Amino acid sequence: MRVSLRWLQDYIDLPTEDPAEIGRAFDMLGHAVEETETFRADWTSVVIGKVLTVDGIPNADKVRVTTVDVGEAEPYQIICGAWNFDAGAIVPVALPGAVLPGDFKIGSRTIRGVESHGMICSARELGLGEEADGIMVLADDAPIGEPFETLLELPDVVFDLEVTNNRPDVMGMVGVARELAAWFDVDYRPPVIELATVPGEPDLAITITAPDGCNRFTAREVRGVTIGPSPLWMQDRLRKAGVRSISNIVDVTNYVMMETGHPLHSFDADRIEGGVLDVRWSTPGETLETLDGSTIELTPEDLVIVDEAGPTSLAAVMGGARSEVSDATTRVLMEAASWNPPTVMYTSRRHDMRSEASARFERGVDPNLAVMADDRACQLLVAIAGGEVLESQIDIVANAFSPISIDLAVRDVERFLGEGFDAQRCAGLLRRLDLEVSATDETLTVIVPTYRRDLTRPVDLIEEIARLADFDTFDSTVPTGPVGGLTPDQVRTRRLQTALRGMGLSQAINLPFVSPEELAAFGGGIGEVVSVRNPLRDDQSKLRQSLLPGLLRNVRDNLNRGARSVGLYEMARVFYARPWADDGRVPDQPNRLAVAIAGPFGPAVLGRAAAAADAEVALGIVSAIADRMGVEIGRTAAQPPGFHPTRTAELDLNGQAVGYAGEVHPDVVADYEIDGRVAVVEMELAPLVAPVAAPLMAPVSNYPHVEFDLSFDVPPALAGGDLVDATVKASILLERADVFDDFVHPESGQRSIAVRYRLRAPDRTLEREDIDGQRDAMVAAAAALGGTLRGES
Amino acid sequence: MTEENNQDPEVDLDAKLEEMMLNLRLPDPADLQDEIDGITSSEALAEFEKKHLGKGSSIAGEMRNLGRLPQDQRREAGRRINEVRQAVQGRVNERQEALTVQERAASMAAEGIDVTVDHRQIPIGSLHLIQQVIDEVSDIFTGLGYHVADGPEAELAWYNFDALNTPPDHPGRLESDTMYLDYGKPEDEMLLRAHTSPVQARYMEQNPPPVYIVSPGRAYRNDTIDASHLPVFFQIEGLAVDENIKFSDLKGTLEEFARQFFAPDTVVRLRPHYFPFTEPSAEVDVSCFNCDRGESSCRVCGGSGWLEMLGCGMVDPAVFEAVGYDPDAVTGFAFGMGVERLAMVRHGIDSIRHFIDNDLRFLEQFQG
Repeated sequence: MRVSLRWLQDYIDLPTEDPAEIGRAFDMLGHAVEETETFRADWTSVVIGKVLTVDGIPNADKVRVTTVDVGEAEPYQIICGAWNFDAGAIVPVALPGAVLPGDFKIGSRTIRGVESHGMICSARELGLGEEADGIMVLADDAPIGEPFETLLELPDVVFDLEVTNNRPDVMGMVGVARELAAWFDVDYRPPVIELATVPGEPDLAITITAPDGCNRFTAREVRGVTIGPSPLWMQDRLRKAGVRSISNIVDVTNYVMMETGHPLHSFDADRIEGGVLDVRWSTPGETLETLDGSTIELTPEDLVIVDEAGPTSLAAVMGGARSEVSDATTRVLMEAASWNPPTVMYTSRRHDMRSEASARFERGVDPNLAVMADDRACQLLVAIAGGEVLESQIDIVANAFSPISIDLAVRDVERFLGEGFDAQRCAGLLRRLDLEVSATDETLTVIVPTYRRDLTRPVDLIEEIARLADFDTFDSTVPTGPVGGLTPDQVRTRRLQTALRGMGLSQAINLPFVSPEELAAFGGGIGEVVSVRNPLRDDQSKLRQSLLPGLLRNVRDNLNRGARSVGLYEMARVFYARPWADDGRVPDQPNRLAVAIAGPFGPAVLGRAAAAADAEVALGIVSAIADRMGVEIGRTAAQPPGFHPTRTAELDLNGQAVGYAGEVHPDVVADYEIDGRVAVVEMELAPLVAPVAAPLMAPVSNYPHVEFDLSFDVPPALAGGDLVDATVKASILLERADVFDDFVHPESGQRSIAVRYRLRAPDRTLEREDIDGQRDAMVAAAAALGGTLRGES
Repeated sequence: MTEENNQDPEVDLDAKLEEMMLNLRLPDPADLQDEIDGITSSEALAEFEKKHLGKGSSIAGEMRNLGRLPQDQRREAGRRINEVRQAVQGRVNERQEALTVQERAASMAAEGIDVTVDHRQIPIGSLHLIQQVIDEVSDIFTGLGYHVADGPEAELAWYNFDALNTPPDHPGRLESDTMYLDYGKPEDEMLLRAHTSPVQARYMEQNPPPVYIVSPGRAYRNDTIDASHLPVFFQIEGLAVDENIKFSDLKGTLEEFARQFFAPDTVVRLRPHYFPFTEPSAEVDVSCFNCDRGESSCRVCGGSGWLEMLGCGMVDPAVFEAVGYDPDAVTGFAFGMGVERLAMVRHGIDSIRHFIDNDLRFLEQFQG
């Protein structure tokens, strides 16, 4: 809502003209000032003149020569290229020496031997509009010789207000004045309506067959109207309000809308087919031709105004071309109707037609303003376009709105706002808003007029009291909760992230929307997919069931941008169409951790990159995560969809399958147009960050250790990890075991694993017999699984 | 100087005589000193030591011959040989110490590196800036006695709208604003939560007052991606419900937050606004941390001196009724802020798209 200060002053005598102070008032009333714009005369030496003579110039058929009285002793001779005026016209004249907007300097010159001193100006040349075809023709009573800007309200300041959705009343100048009057505790005055009418009643039959869409339909007929441009003062105000001037008739409807907040519509009464209008819901297949010449398809949820020939207007949103006022209009039906807000909201969005009118109707225009707005519009129309108003007003009330009464307990005001709000103060603040208040010490009874439909409950009044008390005057106090802090899971989630970061991985955040193809790549799909009913794009209609598609896209994009290596992780929810354990009404949406790494992984030395990430890196990361989180994660070879079939492990934690680690399947890697391997981990987050028992200290021995290596031949069916685990479990003195070689003999195909074991006793230096005993037990344990000792050192 | 050296001058004459008497062929340690001083490397000194003290040296030879000497001379000869050996060894050791110092100095001089060049790169990852801000804000509020609460993102419309006093025809419910899901029973309309407030409703349903929580997380809106919109973004909402929560508590709490998050001298301004779930409602501006109020060139606030940061208000009694709290027994406040907005303002980020591009060049800038 653009509010011109000069216009506003028609309705209120403000105690200040300081834009900063008024701006603060708007801000603190809750109507945030988005922008403050200053209007000034952007020219010098432009005066009001009267054209005395207009004559042709020999051999010049595009321009004429005029003499113009500018209030000086002698008239000025000025050549003019515009043809929209004759002798006697009052016009703005830029005198020689004038400077127009755009630093356009006006002087004297000679064209085809004819002298020209100054220029007669168009609206565009003065920066007042787009009209450039003709010069501005001013009102006949404009004072000749006076500066042109005296006809305009300049200088002026326009506040562009952000009016919240619950305040239709602030969408008009009168309502704005009422707010400022409450803030500054001064009076305001609505426009005085003096409507002269002639006897008669409109030759129209109007009905409302959709009372669920239309609250009230009020209209007057005005006869003998002369269409033309609206007067300069009205154009000036509309321009500042951000409304384009169309014609006097249309300008009046917009002017009164800006003034009262009640939108109006003007029909050419002669173009209403059959002299009947009805408000009804549209029927399938109906269309409406709009003013800009396009045809829109209507739906049964659209409310239309129809005459005998069908829809002539999309109620509240847009007039149709068929009954719109035109240059030939003389008989106007000036309508002020109010509509059901949700209907307007849906229709304006459905057809993408947002307007000043729809912005008001969506908020809820007060039907009880209709008569006043309609009368005001007719009053102004007759004043600027002539004609006469018929005495009889059409006024159909489908839904009556009455003031309501709210009882407010003073105690509740203090519960919300703190001390210092007794009945007297509260009543005083509310009365400033023109509310009728009767008060006892405990209770206020407040009568709320229908233009404040946002006030329905006591708490709504508490807000009004707080607002007028000025939010800036409230104290600052800080309450604290009884106990705060992170839960163990939250602490461990942070610890996990710190660990991942230490591994060189960066956190990614992706959108959860995927295509069916992306979903299928990692086995998502079948039956348990959650779909978005209204997706942003059709190929983003599914909710992810794996974090890997997003990370693979990130890997690809980073490599394409020139990254040599990419290591990312993400923690986020995935979605399954099955009941969630915590609330069966919503779909399952567990949190996951996923990692994706491509390219060299680990420290690099002067140009020599680390080895490229592969499945073994992924498995190493799982082990590191398990260590950091104090859990054991088991691994078995697996072939889940999307993963490399021979380089992937299923992970389990406390016997529960929790995810996979390995490499992405080469086919999928190719689909993502990535060169090389991509190491990935994806696992459930909850079991990983669930609290674990505090570990008890294991003894730290001060005795020396012994190391020896064993290498085993591993039969094809035996998992290397199982063999190593068996040897580890066989020794009670084992401190650690590290696989340092794992190879397949190129000729025999025999696989061998070499392990370095470290033994240490808690209570003594190891003797030869100790070591031999442990070693034999380990070898025996390996042999029991089929692993034979190949060598030792 | 070692002790042996000090003895040298007095050994001299007597020793010579005795040697001659014993007929021992031993070097005079003093005569070797010049040669020792001329040795300039540990390797050469080792050669010298081998020559004069090793197996083939005259000292070793005389020691081997000791057994052949007459019984009465053996003891004296042994003493003498040892004396000479120790004297030579002492001079060698002394030289070695000097050489070690020299050689270590030379070696250090030779192995110097240019400390201004990175020859090794130790990779370290980064927390996403969004995560950093969430953690930081959570920490501020846990310090004030709040818990951090979480909840489902695929959510019932009831928790997202109805429980929060949103009218049935509120524009936020339109498909043009909110993303709906095909799931569940028709009467349980399902959506991707449009804010994290449903967490508050759920938390109150399950926990009696007092409640002090913040709920960070994803929120979803049907917005096309551009420089200032994402269909999925992060919010942090806070809720305090207790017996005597007042408007001043809301103001003071946000002030405390802003001072910890932005700058210690931050000023907070509350302006009335409208939200369905709070009343009174307010928008919150914080004073610009980058300029002295109203520098028109300020790239953070654009000259207004204020930064619009969040929305807040006193919890609407209708919300308490929806979750089963007694609105006559408790009051509360709630606030919500966009994590991206906090990050963009504080770090001067020009487009919200950076947050989902996952470009390492962006991510790694913010090491927190």
